[in-house]
Amino acid sequence: MLQNVQNYHYPGSLHEAHSLRNREGRTYLIAGGTALALSNSKQPVELIDLNRLQLNQVGINVKEDLQTITIGSTVKIQELVESQELNDLTNGFLPKSLEKIGSYPIRNAATLGGSIVRPFPWSDVIPILLVLDAEIEYYNGATGCQPIDAIYNQSFRSTLQKAIITGIRIKLRVKETTRAEFFKFSRSEFDIATLNLACSISTKDEHIAKARLAVGARPSLASRVEEAERSLKDEKTCKISPKRIGQIARSAVEISGDHKASEEYRSVQVEKMTEDAITNIINQLHNGH
Amino acid sequence: MDIKLTINEEEKRFSIEPGEILLDSLRDAGYTSVKEGCKTGDCGACMVLVDGKAMTSCTMFTAQARGNDIKTVKGLNDELAEKLKQSFLDMGAVQCGFCIPGMLISAYSLLSSNPDPTKREIKAALDGNICRCTGYVKQIQAIKRAAEKWEKQENV
Repeated sequence: MLQNVQNYHYPGSLHEAHSLRNREGRTYLIAGGTALALSNSKQPVELIDLNRLQLNQVGINVKEDLQTITIGSTVKIQELVESQELNDLTNGFLPKSLEKIGSYPIRNAATLGGSIVRPFPWSDVIPILLVLDAEIEYYNGATGCQPIDAIYNQSFRSTLQKAIITGIRIKLRVKETTRAEFFKFSRSEFDIATLNLACSISTKDEHIAKARLAVGARPSLASRVEEAERSLKDEKTCKISPKRIGQIARSAVEISGDHKASEEYRSVQVEKMTEDAITNIINQLHNGH
Repeated sequence: MDIKLTINEEEKRFSIEPGEILLDSLRDAGYTSVKEGCKTGDCGACMVLVDGKAMTSCTMFTAQARGNDIKTVKGLNDELAEKLKQSFLDMGAVQCGFCIPGMLISAYSLLSSNPDPTKREIKAALDGNICRCTGYVKQIQAIKRAAEKWEKQENV
């Protein structure tokens, strides 16, 4: 447990939470609290509980050809797993992918917001959100929104240290057909990933309008594989060679070894997982699933 | 800090450290059916129901639970709980017994929302519970049996 918690706050408004967040000294936000409760830091900290700010809603907005899903930052991951609406909107991708995170009791507490504010290298949430081009909504005195890729940007990371993540936004174009896959390799079902990989492909008129591939637990933080994405863009789905894309991904992803798996083992996995993910997605697209 | 928690339908006053973990507060207050196992959220021995959802009390701050309804295995006294407990005994699903409070919490949470679970759903519900004695088969059978009895009774 945290060894030196000075105070536990229950702000009743975003403005109050933001003021507390910007006090002198270190503050941590509690959305699910699962990672923090296990932390062993001896530094003096103050905890700010976000669970009374009504950030526990999932909103769906359809406007012309755009469906926007907004997931409040304190919505529990298990609620998303059980959401029939999200299942229908994402063709099962979001609930089925999130179900691979931790165990049932952990998913009952953990949140997407918590996974972003402290992104662990082995996080399953980050690659999933990367391939959906998710956006982070936050409040730092005023409301703001940044693409998920901004977590690699040091200045945005600093902004988040003083801000409150209020939600995650996912936009889906109705005129495009999007299918996605997520693979996690771990030693047991609820162990952290040795490697994880997410891929999404959006097609329009049988051509790939957009492709996303992200690899996490490399063992460093998940990143997109833009070389593979470029190779897929504008191709006809029937012309894609999953094997070739797998090879491109293997040579493009920066991989290293650690106590869980060697560099070579992870490299082989990247190639195979990419090939399988693309094969599955193309099959789904061709079979109309 | 002083907070009030509702545990097993009883309101209790706690004087806690702001960073205290729910597991420690519960055990210090005498709720020893909540077991301390790994204390890393992996084994499920410390599981409680928080507003009806199974959660590991070692990954939750006590202060977080303010305003929530907490139930330990001792607080499960309705017919479904009795059916589950009896079924665990009948099927020989208990060996050393350390994991059983957590297992019962998971099983109760599952059957409360899904009275007729498949074997896969039972396995998924138990994926946060580790048992080092029995190998899970007996517990899965016990839950299935309790579900059958529960459903039969509900349909009468």
